[in-house]
Amino acid sequence: MDAVMLRVLALAFTVFIIAYIAIPVIVTLVMSFNDASVIRFPIKAWSLRWYGDFFGSPQWVDALKSSVIIALGTTVISTVSGVLAAWAFERFTFAFKPVVYLLIMLPLFMPGVVLGLGVAMAFGDVSLFGINIYGSRVLVMLAHSLWAMPLVFMLMEATFRTVDHRIVEASYDLGGRPVQTFFEIVLPSVSTGIISSALFAFVISLNEFVMALFLTTRDTQTLPVLMWLSLRSAGTPRLAVASVILAAAVFVSLSLIMVWYIRQLRKT
Amino acid sequence: MSAGASDMAPSGPRGPGWRMRLTPWLLMSPALLIAIAFFGLPIAFMGRMSFNEHVDQRFYVPGFTFDNYAAMLTDPTFSAALWTTMRLALISSIVTVAIGYVFAMLVWLKPKRWRLAFIALALCPLLISEISIIFGWWMFFPKNGLLSYALVSSGLITDKISLMYTEFAAFVGLTYVTLPFCFFILLSIFDGIDKKVLEASADLGGSPVRTFYEVLLPLTKGGIAASFAQSFIWAVGTYATPSALGPDTLWTIGYLIQEQMLGKHNWPRAAAFSIVLTSGVAVVMMIIRMLASKRTALNG
Repeated sequence: MDAVMLRVLALAFTVFIIAYIAIPVIVTLVMSFNDASVIRFPIKAWSLRWYGDFFGSPQWVDALKSSVIIALGTTVISTVSGVLAAWAFERFTFAFKPVVYLLIMLPLFMPGVVLGLGVAMAFGDVSLFGINIYGSRVLVMLAHSLWAMPLVFMLMEATFRTVDHRIVEASYDLGGRPVQTFFEIVLPSVSTGIISSALFAFVISLNEFVMALFLTTRDTQTLPVLMWLSLRSAGTPRLAVASVILAAAVFVSLSLIMVWYIRQLRKT
Repeated sequence: MSAGASDMAPSGPRGPGWRMRLTPWLLMSPALLIAIAFFGLPIAFMGRMSFNEHVDQRFYVPGFTFDNYAAMLTDPTFSAALWTTMRLALISSIVTVAIGYVFAMLVWLKPKRWRLAFIALALCPLLISEISIIFGWWMFFPKNGLLSYALVSSGLITDKISLMYTEFAAFVGLTYVTLPFCFFILLSIFDGIDKKVLEASADLGGSPVRTFYEVLLPLTKGGIAASFAQSFIWAVGTYATPSALGPDTLWTIGYLIQEQMLGKHNWPRAAAFSIVLTSGVAVVMMIIRMLASKRTALNG
């Protein structure tokens, strides 16, 4: 009796959790193919009208471009800085290690609204070489790196621990300089870790909109920011299309990495 | 840090002593630069800003006043927002941990072949932008949304209903955003438990319910605390989801900060609110760290 009831409960929960997670995804996907200009169920006619509308609108296409540029920049900045810092933590002993650790990790736990506000206030009217920093894409990349870099650091610190330090020693014994050893021995052996943490950095930046809301102007606004602003005025099926495209960008990069990973497995 | 790192460092890269000491700082310099220039400096700047004055319509006027902090004690809007934020974060975290716990336990108990599918499912909310999640629920709850349509056409109700702009909608959205964090923390805890303890308990005559209370719950206590803290911190800082899905009066501290900054252009007030929010998050984190170190001290 007990066992039967548990089985029924487990089944009910499984149905609930699948429905819960799938509902917003499916609603969005379905709505993006709606032909009408209001959001209303049931959907009477289907078309690709709103996809055409999205790609025909310079404002939305520019926002998408901005998002991708900022996400790529964030990926490069946070992966390089996070990997180097993680290697320093794994290989060296130095003073103030716990303090430095806290300083690097702390931004990850800060609310986006606080980080965005702080950066906006501190760099609100700073200009470099005559160019306003505020509103520039670089500032958004650096702000997004406050979340992406600690994440890369955390993942890479764990990954570097799996590196067999004897091969590093062997490289030194054979006359390899530290820099050469790092690039030719260490990095290739942790490439999967680096690629996955870079992906996380990319996804975080692509999806983030609270910091970007504080830091972008009309010209540099990212897709999530534009979506948030237009949701506040009126929701149209165009927003559903934007959601689908944003998610598609994430899943395309995810599958590219899966393909790379499988090829990597075949090689060995 | 692992003890291994300190053991092997002396035999690590060879070179003069000063170079050995300088290398880690060189390696860390980009990360430190980002953390100091774009986190440390802005926080310090915000701390100073919170004591400035706000006169007329200007962003701020340099000065030194405690008004912005005093206002929090007297301003009913702020105390209401503080209460709302705490209540939302607390309830949504409890619900999230409960759902995440059952979900993780289910994945742990189910045969291996289901595992990958469930993990992919749990990854979804993590990979989707918060704005897309908001918009998804935004189309589900209103009068002309999918929920109302599904209920009416299935004959369960006769009139269209709207759950949009209710606290329920805000909780559904918040839980959705925090669920994957809880799930993955708890799954990693469950994976560390030997499933044989369940058989052992059953062999000794323990009912499933008793096994849960006396075996599983004590073993996963640490994971519950960690996942609760994680989702609490996240829920306190998030303002978009509750403000977009909940009622108009559902003002969280995050919403007030945004309102003061972008709406009222009162920089000192926005900075003071942020400092309080930041300190709150830091206190929660410190409590967790203390609890965590106590746990490891007890368990060896």
